[in-house]
Amino acid sequence: MRGMRLPWEATVPLALITIWQIVSLTGWLPRTAMPAPTDVLVAGGKLIYSGALFRHLAVSAGRAAMGFAIGGSIGFLLGLWTGSSIWADRLFDGTVQMLRAVPHLALTPLIILWMGIGETPKIFLVALGVIFPIYINTSHAIRSVDSGLIEMGRVYGLGPRDMFQRVVFPGALPGILVGVRYALGVAWLTLIVAETISASSGIGYLAMTAREFLWTDVIVFCILIYALLGKAADSAARWLERRCLRWHPNYQPVRKREAA
Amino acid sequence: MKESTVSLTGIDRRYGDRHVLRGIDLEIAAGEFVAIVGRSGEGKTTLLRLLAGLDRPNVGEVRLSGKPLGGLNPDARIVFQDGRLLPWLTILENIAIGLSPEKRSIATKLLHQVGLSERASDWPSTLSGGQRQRVALARALASEPSLLLFDEPLGSLDSLTRREMQQMVERLWCDRGCTAVLVTHDVDEAVALADRVILLEEGRIALDVPVSLPRPRSRVAPEFLETSQTILDRLLGDHTSAQTIGVAR
Repeated sequence: MRGMRLPWEATVPLALITIWQIVSLTGWLPRTAMPAPTDVLVAGGKLIYSGALFRHLAVSAGRAAMGFAIGGSIGFLLGLWTGSSIWADRLFDGTVQMLRAVPHLALTPLIILWMGIGETPKIFLVALGVIFPIYINTSHAIRSVDSGLIEMGRVYGLGPRDMFQRVVFPGALPGILVGVRYALGVAWLTLIVAETISASSGIGYLAMTAREFLWTDVIVFCILIYALLGKAADSAARWLERRCLRWHPNYQPVRKREAA
Repeated sequence: MKESTVSLTGIDRRYGDRHVLRGIDLEIAAGEFVAIVGRSGEGKTTLLRLLAGLDRPNVGEVRLSGKPLGGLNPDARIVFQDGRLLPWLTILENIAIGLSPEKRSIATKLLHQVGLSERASDWPSTLSGGQRQRVALARALASEPSLLLFDEPLGSLDSLTRREMQQMVERLWCDRGCTAVLVTHDVDEAVALADRVILLEEGRIALDVPVSLPRPRSRVAPEFLETSQTILDRLLGDHTSAQTIGVAR
């Protein structure tokens, strides 16, 4: 089943690129507005050859990872707390939900004012964007762990630590991972915006510099890189799901007898 | 193996307006197998939860080997109706839950005794309903409880699997001799397994029938049939009046 999926997934993008190339070559699409796929490839080749791509990629990935780690930890711990304590839920959940309603990118001007245009505001924005999806999913997942299993754990003499490690956390993990997957998308989106507004390195900066010189091929290449990075992050999240949820019937390999 | 005597005195349990247990007095001897039968909603499971310490009576006292039960009963294990295996642990890990590392070998031994050795590293979701309950039974026995509580563990199994499980429960209990309480709605099952059958009716003990037939019991022996019939008659005889009360409420 899995081997079959890749070629099928690739059919539509390949067809689109082919059409795009034809339209560019015939002159329908002016190259100053939209470069041909081959132009984009050449621009990408140059960026790879000069090493600029990897330098900027490393900076962007570093920011995303840092912001994700900080925001993810805060969201997870807060979610854990409100998910397991009714009091914490009553005290904090309303406030967090209210803050969530504010688009975190709306804070960008304020954050630039506070923190300038260094690394901190970018990481801060990513962290802020990541907190909420992780928080909401963790809190909800913890609260919806089967109470029958928790009762079983009590009867079978599990202490608080074992109860968390063996019952609550694994039970909440599918929900938490949904949050992780969503948050990865948010992290990239935030980063693009943050790097486009003010930066001196990173993929967003690369695209903005290219705009000043009207290098449309580089701009399109940067957009492509963002797409690939988003896809890579999503695949990583899926891989994590398959690995952590091996016990789950949805993630078990198709039975041999069914294949036979 | 340790054994617990259990004594309940003057137990009352209410949930809001619902009076689930009313003035229950019950003594269970060490090593005795008691079955509790009754219609749904007559307080059977509540009684079991009181014995496990998962619930407390409003009035009255639960004593275990003479000591009053304050919180959770550390010497009791429940075999739940729905198994409640942890789906993210392998079958062997499920049996070993709550065991200290040096006692892990007991889990392997029990898995063998319930006939599932070759499934040790499988996930619970790959088991049939009967196999899951066998794992749940092994898990309950692994910590060598002095009080074994069964909450309709065989209720959802097909009749053949249920018979096999009953034999397995009887055999494993005979080996250990711990005190056992079985909640069931199957009168035959109660008479086949228990030393004593208690019938709960509207939260009271309506019948307390000793069963002294030799084990393993034949279900067609006249004494067996007679005992089941006595209990069934009482259960069914009350049917109409229970209905009337239900409507009147």
